Amino acid sequence: MSDNFEKSEEQAAAFQKIWMESMSKVMQSAFTFGNNSPPPDVLKQIRSGIFQALAQSWEEFMRSPQFLESMKQWMDTAINFRKMSNDFMAKVRNDIQAPSRDDIDTVMLTVRHMEKRFLDRVEDLAARIAQLDSRLNGHTGQSAAKASGSRSDAVKGRKPARRKTKAEAE
Amino acid sequence: MTESAPFTNPWLQWQRAALDESFAALGRMTNFPTLLERAKQIRKGVSSSEVVYEEDRLKLLHYCSDSKPRFKTPLIFIYALVNRPYILDLKKGRSVVANFVNHGFDTYLVDWGVPTPADRHLTLDDYINGYMANVMDFIAERTGVRTPNVLGYCMGGTMSAMFTALHPERVKNLILLAAPIDFASNDGLLNLWSRPENFDVDKFVDTFGNCPPEFLQSTFLLLRPVGNFIEKPINFYENMHNEKFLEDFLTTESWLNDNIAVPGEVYRQFVKYLYQQNLLVQNRMPVGKHIVNLQNITCPVLNLMAGKDDLVPCSQGMPFTDLVGSKDRKSILLDGSGHIGLAIGGRAQKEVWPQACEWLAQRSD
Repeated sequence: MSDNFEKSEEQAAAFQKIWMESMSKVMQSAFTFGNNSPPPDVLKQIRSGIFQALAQSWEEFMRSPQFLESMKQWMDTAINFRKMSNDFMAKVRNDIQAPSRDDIDTVMLTVRHMEKRFLDRVEDLAARIAQLDSRLNGHTGQSAAKASGSRSDAVKGRKPARRKTKAEAE
Repeated sequence: MTESAPFTNPWLQWQRAALDESFAALGRMTNFPTLLERAKQIRKGVSSSEVVYEEDRLKLLHYCSDSKPRFKTPLIFIYALVNRPYILDLKKGRSVVANFVNHGFDTYLVDWGVPTPADRHLTLDDYINGYMANVMDFIAERTGVRTPNVLGYCMGGTMSAMFTALHPERVKNLILLAAPIDFASNDGLLNLWSRPENFDVDKFVDTFGNCPPEFLQSTFLLLRPVGNFIEKPINFYENMHNEKFLEDFLTTESWLNDNIAVPGEVYRQFVKYLYQQNLLVQNRMPVGKHIVNLQNITCPVLNLMAGKDDLVPCSQGMPFTDLVGSKDRKSILLDGSGHIGLAIGGRAQKEVWPQACEWLAQRSD
């Protein structure tokens, strides 16, 4: 308990320091302007100086360990809240015998795994066909080995089945 | 305020300012009721185009030109998976696409579309070795040219670099526009915030699935809180009577707030492998079964960066030209410009894009 209190006190002191420095910078920049400018422009210069100082202070603040810690805590809270609502919705849907998001995700993932295994197999076969093809075309065993080791399209990438273009479909 | 210069008497200057302000206020009041309607009428992409290829959510746009393209080598724009691609064709006189079309390039743009929860398992491998490779195949079939030019913007630039490294024989010239490559420095706040000790990306993606657009939008806004939450509204109020300003503002803001989700697995890989482990510059970046080696990029490379980019600081893009195997490589840094300004800014239109078009023209058939 006392540790928590000390930690909060340290954080509050750090926040106070950052913002005191920031206010002092703002005040400084507010009163450094050229005397030769017409009065309406002077106001704009003051405002621009203040914004610049504020922007600088915010940049420093957003890099401070205090801000990073608060950001992490806020993110954790948001994630936990979302997780709770996901779990609740999943329970409700399962209770009424409807598929939940988790169920759909599981199906999607299973399809993805099947697709991946299938495409991997197709890639292997394509590589072997490319190898055989190069042998058939009169290449030596050496060039075939080179072909299998080269970065051919067949071994390089997985491609989902290409759909027809609009024009092709019509 | 230039009109007030002849008045040396401060009292007269104040009077002049008050008069100017009264007229401006009148203009604001006149424009205020129509703002929403005007924002709704903003066109998303101004150059004429047709969809020539579709796959899942992806659409490939082909830009139509009045005259026959001067160059046989087509140019493909690869946009990021964050936000919408029409920023590259935002408005007349500010369109990156139009620059290249008018220069005689046969121009295409990849619109990745809006991912649904069903797309949460799509990985970088699916995008790079799947969709991008299929787009290249389609363009090769359509134009008879197997090695097109590629221009990648932001995250699309990183993906284009990966594609070129994995398929060096498929790209003739590569242009990167504000593309993050080296994530080592903490110059950008995003790098710092994404460090493993600050952000558990696994937990985030496992819970949320796709990365929500609201999360991305708020993160981007937080990069410049004073600029976005204080200066921008004030600037808007002060210039609301200025028709030209209003049109530019509404166009840009419409795009900025038109966010889309990022597929969960892509987001996880991007944050984990790049922001957290910085694997791309170490030539250890996995894409499916393959490892990206930037040294494999041997085609001519043009790297465009902005000096005041909050999202992708130039320290993230600058090392790219030293990491590739290309001999023909060039970098252009536009000082004083931001991430979006580099694409649509007035200075970029005058200084960067004519140079980029010329660079590409010299290297295209």
